[in-house]
Amino acid sequence: MRSFLAILIALLLVSPVYANDKLTLSGYLKNETSLRINHLNGDLTKEKNIVELSGEYKIKGDELVFFTRARYWYDAAYDARAKLDPAQHYMGHVQRTDWLRDCYLDYNKDAWFLRLGKQQVAWGQADGIAILDRVNPVDLSEYWLPDLQDIRIPLWMANINYTPKLNSNLQFLFIPDFEQSTSAPIGAPFTFYSYTRYDNWRKAQLAMGSTVDENIYFPGKKLENSTFGLQWSDRIGDMDYTLNYLYGFYYSARNTTILAAGSGGPLSSWKVDRAFKRYQMYGASFNKSFTNSGPMQGITLRGDFALYKDEPTYIGDPTIASAKRIARWDNVFWLIGADRYIFTKYMLSMQFSQYILEHAKEKSKGLPAAQQYPMNAYTYGYADQVENIFTIKLSTQFMNERLRPEVLWSFTDDNNGRLSPKVNFEIMDNLVLTLGIHYFYGNLYDSNGQFRDENQFYTNLKFSF
Amino acid sequence: MKKLFLLFLGLALISGYALAEELEYFQVHTPQAGMNVDEVMQIENFVKYTKFCHDTKMSGKAYFIDKSGFVREKETARMRITLGRKSDDMAYKDIVMFTSPQVKGLAALTWTYMDPKRQNDSWLWIPSLRKIRKISAANNDDSFMGSDFSVEDITTRRFEDETYTLLKEENFPGYTCEFDKQTYYKDAPSYVIECRPKKSPWYYSKRILWVDKNTGGGFYEEKYDPKDKMFMTIFKKFEIFKVNGKDYPTQVILEGKDLRTGHRTVIVNDNIKFDQGLSEELFSERTLMQTRW
Repeated sequence: MRSFLAILIALLLVSPVYANDKLTLSGYLKNETSLRINHLNGDLTKEKNIVELSGEYKIKGDELVFFTRARYWYDAAYDARAKLDPAQHYMGHVQRTDWLRDCYLDYNKDAWFLRLGKQQVAWGQADGIAILDRVNPVDLSEYWLPDLQDIRIPLWMANINYTPKLNSNLQFLFIPDFEQSTSAPIGAPFTFYSYTRYDNWRKAQLAMGSTVDENIYFPGKKLENSTFGLQWSDRIGDMDYTLNYLYGFYYSARNTTILAAGSGGPLSSWKVDRAFKRYQMYGASFNKSFTNSGPMQGITLRGDFALYKDEPTYIGDPTIASAKRIARWDNVFWLIGADRYIFTKYMLSMQFSQYILEHAKEKSKGLPAAQQYPMNAYTYGYADQVENIFTIKLSTQFMNERLRPEVLWSFTDDNNGRLSPKVNFEIMDNLVLTLGIHYFYGNLYDSNGQFRDENQFYTNLKFSF
Repeated sequence: MKKLFLLFLGLALISGYALAEELEYFQVHTPQAGMNVDEVMQIENFVKYTKFCHDTKMSGKAYFIDKSGFVREKETARMRITLGRKSDDMAYKDIVMFTSPQVKGLAALTWTYMDPKRQNDSWLWIPSLRKIRKISAANNDDSFMGSDFSVEDITTRRFEDETYTLLKEENFPGYTCEFDKQTYYKDAPSYVIECRPKKSPWYYSKRILWVDKNTGGGFYEEKYDPKDKMFMTIFKKFEIFKVNGKDYPTQVILEGKDLRTGHRTVIVNDNIKFDQGLSEELFSERTLMQTRW
């Protein structure tokens, strides 16, 4: 907080001094409020106040530019509602250095473009689904509901780009920084069910006199543990494509639980490990707009494909939410999407994706039959070998774009999904009000269904300057 | 957001491209005595899309004014390179960057092709995603980014889309711009041309267009609905920019009024610079990727 304030004050102090073409400041104040609407009980689940300030300083024209963005927030709901108190420490205010969202130096000359510093990099064409978009870890403390730029956790990295020919780009990423993906702690509205189930189990064990030895194994701070990324972008005819490669540690790690001593009953000893594993991602993406006249004209097709080699996959017994080991499978995630204006001013966007596990069941490691199932990392329920995911988004505008309604429906073939209608209203140039609902449905052990009791009505009010 | 971009893209395109393939790029063409109406309209299209210049940079403001007088404002910075390259059908490329606070960072790249039947290719840098998204072309009759102009008013209407009849030649009585209260084009010699869309039914039945005899710029038009009732007026103020000894007619103010709703859109172009030697490499996805906001 003190660092954030120091940056804020410094930026404000220098702004009049350098109020010229070299320095540009911008920012916003925002309030995000949400109410839990299940059973119409109206619990206040979020009362978040955010201040963000960004500054750009052109050291040498557009050739050398420094940019930084700082954000502080405070969520008063964690003061107001006793039920949420256990999560207050993590959810009540910004954590550690997360207030620094960007801090980098851009160097741009001829065919070279370098961005050095804390930043986020987004790959892929998918909307709201992270298939290739895995360069940065993610903060899922509000599930996948916020904007993706707020979900990604920025990392310190060297982002080096070279353009060998017109409309192409070779990007190399060197990321010595490591941050784990985060999620909501126990007691928050969007706590993953796997955490709740584990927490319940741990408390039961401790109550029985058992011991639970919890260990986390982060990657060592060594150069060889850095993450490396490579992306080649080019065009074939009218189609843009990329080829992607990422080598590094998987940003999330879940618990695996092993009985160290005892029978599993009272007075047993348990060992719970959370270990980050290295994996590789081979991927590709494309987009193409059909511009020539014909039945396809006006349609934009886009797609992502990723092979996650040695992806940590949790194997265990979903009925008791206990992962026993981490399998290193070669899993595939792909997506195809299409966008088109229908009628006048209605934009329809549809996506279909499949997440395909290498195996339906782990067989070769001598685990009991009940403990051989791949598990949904969010809930520790059963994971389908093939998960089919659909998203449909319809958006339009009224009142000369002052009023912008949108409906997003994301669902799987397991009758589990989320429906999110919202409307943006531009009160004034710099003041925008958003009203919306997130409605979750499905099985408690499915990714969206786990939040079926957390349906919410929300408002956002943002003042930009 | 995408529509907002399209609006400004269109504004850039207003200085952009049309079809008149018979007219040579990078030359200034003006109406001449004895020209027929099609020749005049080819020039009007050529001027509308500023195919006479190699490149241009400008900043702009758009004002959205409702009938109660409430004003919303958006600011942009724009660049365009004219290519007129038959080998890959490339007419010109545009980049529009939004600079006003609420939409700061939003940026768009558009490539426009010479083939009149071909739609634009557009990419958008979306700050909330920090990602480039390829976007679909909007329908021609859709509102252009929430403005009172239609998409085709700004970006997609080509010479071939309409048939033309010269109604008369006259000295224009003058237009008082509601934005700056100035009267423009008083007694300006002009062609009065009826433009009827080939597509039928269409959202308008005809446009009556006044074309400046001196520059070829279409500076005022009235649009009529299928029942022949006027529903829209569009005014464009052109200024002459002298560049390397040539006179470039350039739109500096656009005012569109929807007579049904009383809503107006005014676009003011500023800091206009031509032929700065911009590189085509600027008009690529990498430029969008470098957006910081």
